[in-house]
Amino acid sequence: MSSRHRLIGRRSLLGAALAAAACAWPGRARAFGATSRLQIGQIQHGGRWNPRPTAIRRLGWELARRTSIEVANDALPVRLDRPGLHRTPMLYLAGDGPLPGFSEPERAALRRHLQYGGFLLVDSADGSDGGGFDASARRELARLLPAAPLGAIPREHVLYKSFYLLDRQGGRVLVKPWLEAQALDGRLAVVYSQNDLGGAWARAEAGDWEYPCTPGGEAQRETAFRLGVNLSMYALCTDYKDDAVHLPFIMKRRS
Amino acid sequence: MEGASYNAWRLAALSPLPRWALALLALAAVASVVLAWRGLRGEPRPHRRAALVALRAASALLALFLLAEPAVQLLQTARVKNRLAVLVDASRSMRFPGEPGGAPRSEVVAAFVRDHRAELERLSDRVDLEWYAFGSEVAPVDPAAVARGLASDGGKTDVLGALQAAASGAGGSSRKLAGALVVSDGADNAGLADGLSAAARAEIRALGVPVNALAVGRDAPRDLAVERVAVDDFAFVRNTVTVEATLRARGFGREEVPVVLRREGAVVARGMVRLEPGKDRYTLPLSFAPDATGTFVFTVAAPVYPGEAVVENNARSFVLRVIRDRVRVLLVAGRPTWDERFLRGLLKQDPNVDLVSFFILRTNSDNPGPQEELSLIPFPVQEIFGEQLRTFDAVIFVNFAYGPYRALEIDRYLPNLRDYVRNGGAFAMLGGDQSFGEGRYGETPLGEVLPVAVIDGAGASEEELRPRLTPEGRRHPVTSLAPGEAANDATWAALPPVPGINLTRPLAAGSGAAVLLEAPSILVGGRPAPVVAVREVGAGRTLAVTTDASWFWGFLAAESGQGNRAYQRFWSSALRWLVRDPGLGPLQAEPDASAVEPGAPLGVTLSVRGSDWGPAAGKRVAVELVSEDGKVVSRAEAIAGADGTARVELAPPGPGAYKVVARAEGAAGPAGPADVAATAVAVRGSGPEDSDAAPRPELLRALAEATGGAFSALPGGGLPDLKLADPDVVEIGRRKDVPVWDRWWFLAGLACTLGAEWILRRRWGWW
Repeated sequence: MSSRHRLIGRRSLLGAALAAAACAWPGRARAFGATSRLQIGQIQHGGRWNPRPTAIRRLGWELARRTSIEVANDALPVRLDRPGLHRTPMLYLAGDGPLPGFSEPERAALRRHLQYGGFLLVDSADGSDGGGFDASARRELARLLPAAPLGAIPREHVLYKSFYLLDRQGGRVLVKPWLEAQALDGRLAVVYSQNDLGGAWARAEAGDWEYPCTPGGEAQRETAFRLGVNLSMYALCTDYKDDAVHLPFIMKRRS
Repeated sequence: MEGASYNAWRLAALSPLPRWALALLALAAVASVVLAWRGLRGEPRPHRRAALVALRAASALLALFLLAEPAVQLLQTARVKNRLAVLVDASRSMRFPGEPGGAPRSEVVAAFVRDHRAELERLSDRVDLEWYAFGSEVAPVDPAAVARGLASDGGKTDVLGALQAAASGAGGSSRKLAGALVVSDGADNAGLADGLSAAARAEIRALGVPVNALAVGRDAPRDLAVERVAVDDFAFVRNTVTVEATLRARGFGREEVPVVLRREGAVVARGMVRLEPGKDRYTLPLSFAPDATGTFVFTVAAPVYPGEAVVENNARSFVLRVIRDRVRVLLVAGRPTWDERFLRGLLKQDPNVDLVSFFILRTNSDNPGPQEELSLIPFPVQEIFGEQLRTFDAVIFVNFAYGPYRALEIDRYLPNLRDYVRNGGAFAMLGGDQSFGEGRYGETPLGEVLPVAVIDGAGASEEELRPRLTPEGRRHPVTSLAPGEAANDATWAALPPVPGINLTRPLAAGSGAAVLLEAPSILVGGRPAPVVAVREVGAGRTLAVTTDASWFWGFLAAESGQGNRAYQRFWSSALRWLVRDPGLGPLQAEPDASAVEPGAPLGVTLSVRGSDWGPAAGKRVAVELVSEDGKVVSRAEAIAGADGTARVELAPPGPGAYKVVARAEGAAGPAGPADVAATAVAVRGSGPEDSDAAPRPELLRALAEATGGAFSALPGGGLPDLKLADPDVVEIGRRKDVPVWDRWWFLAGLACTLGAEWILRRRWGWW
């Protein structure tokens, strides 16, 4: 299927598309301990830090189903004031209601994590805008990286093509039709969603979605998962999809 | 009067009045005539008016004559004898035959001077003859020596420079030049090398004298020469370089000449030149892609044919420095992992690295939804492991298995990867559950070049372990995280333990492999399992890192305040070692110049570093000059100073291409391998004087014509009718003033004209 595509120079690519790879590699989850897998560290803070307890597990399940990323079963609760924060380069900070301010050592630990290459996804579960979690999270992020203010991520950013080609937002609600981010050295270090991504991901043991997605319904939920996949891919591959070899393909599919 | 002693005269004014006063008086005289003319406007008869004005004018002239006091100045003068410079070419090209199979040109000149010297001497009543020889310099020469035959050892022919030097008095004379006679083959390789340009013509005319020319030599001898090689000083490795060689062939018919481009003996490019009658210059592009970095001597060579005038000019050497523009790295990852993430981040940040990444983001068992909603691209196996492989300086597999993607048939390319390494490429494999034995590389061609013995299915250890430096690892640049052995040990000890490794075995001695970091707690076959190992295999290098957590040395180490320097240093050194970064070697050798003249000493600066990468003061370095056929032609030794540098001068080698090889005792002592550094230098074979045997009578003819000189050609011609500039006439003796004004009749004439005017005016009623 891919012979018509061109990648380097004028020669067409031989070798089948990965999608067409004839053989299924047994999806072994074995690696050298948990450190090789994607295990998301969920930050424990003084507020309601785990409003959607099943969300990360379900995101992991979807990642394993849809991508080659090997995932750990569940999120690892981490505390900013305890050692071991750097064992999980991808962190998840959720909250329902006001986020109590971090202490200065906590803030320094998180800042160091991000500066050395870590990635933080901040997810507002309460759908607030200008109050609640939103106001306190914005205040805290401004203190965390004062030189890197939060700004809307442009639609053409690599985050929206790191796996899925995305042009919409997902989540339990749609408070903002965009994501915001703080960048360090040209890389998104903190991504902030006000749309309760965790609410869209959360799924009860019985197999039911825990929350309806409004106003977009199941399509909005699917977009939330795709966004979760792209966020995880971005954390693991950064701007890989901005490499020159990918551009002709992406342009063609976008058109 | 003594007229015989005076041979020239001129008019002069003896009046004591200053010139301005005389000028005023002249004006007054003119004014008196004009006033007379105006005053007589009422005279109806023109002849009366004319007569009165004529009388007034005559009076004015006579008055002026008497006031100016003119005299005849008698002079005694003489003509100066100017110089005729006879410029005889004494450059090496005069050793070539005057005509094919004939006597050397210098001999032809000597015979001519013997025959015509008397004829030239006869010019001495008009000019002073000055004889000069010109080659490397312009110097007076005894005509008797010219008649015996000059040595002809000058390294250049600069006709214009010689003429200018003679005109400005190279022989110590301040007198002017009346003309010059150039006796030369015209094979100018300075200002007139490209013919008589407009600028050169202007310069030669500025001398202001006729240049007579006697051209020596006719018909170029049979000769084939690599006249010129045009190439940049440096080239990029694996990028095509085109060397443009200019060949000159004279005396050949329709023939095909094979031309080769050699790098230190090995042919890297070939070309063919088809010779045609009537054409003597040919340009031939020779292209090749250098496959290794370093400084090399290249030689463009054509065969030597029988009967050639010069054989040394059939080859021309040059030094080319082959560098890399940026290190081109191919990073292939079996899946997104943190190991891949941090390594990519590191390589992307490095401005010296041109990174091409391919990550497997999904496998066939994954179900992400419709393809058109994904940003995924096909894995270009044929491109990267086939055609493009040689364009990469290093290939890195991060937890990548060849097996799962059967439709891609990656295993077909594993021999290619092995050969790429053996031919000078670099390859690194990082651990993971799809790597080494887990990736089933043990029985593959790629396994043959890995620095560890891969056992398929040996599994992995998931035990946390603290790796330990081996003796080789203590002095190897890849595992040197801090200067000094103790500091390096401490830096490694402070790094976080790694969570597990692929189980592999060290290779046997003699394989070119070395384990640098091992897991003392994990034994495979009774020996500690390698964590980091390196190998020199063929012309290439390989690296194995059996853990998938080298990122622990960066991101995890940063948590405890150590920063990520160890990680950065490890991978930066590993990459530089893999691609043989010349700056990473402990010994460096740099020649003063890439090409030297024959006979000149060759200076080489050496820089030596110890195992701690500090200056190795006091270390002995031996330097050898090795010719293209591998023979050592010169040796020198030096001891490094406090700054770790030393300088040697090698004995002047003959023309050719040479490798400079420096050796110092390695970190392992006299028993271990020596540190070696190599560079290259070319000793020029033939200068411009020797490379072209063709005479250029047409240049000398143009020179003569441009200056109004005479031309003749040898052998066969005689002394031309020399053209000389007229000598200057210079007053040298006495002078005598003979006044002509103090004669009584001038005064009487003035009285008469004034009186006549007065009388006529009264008679005609004007007073």
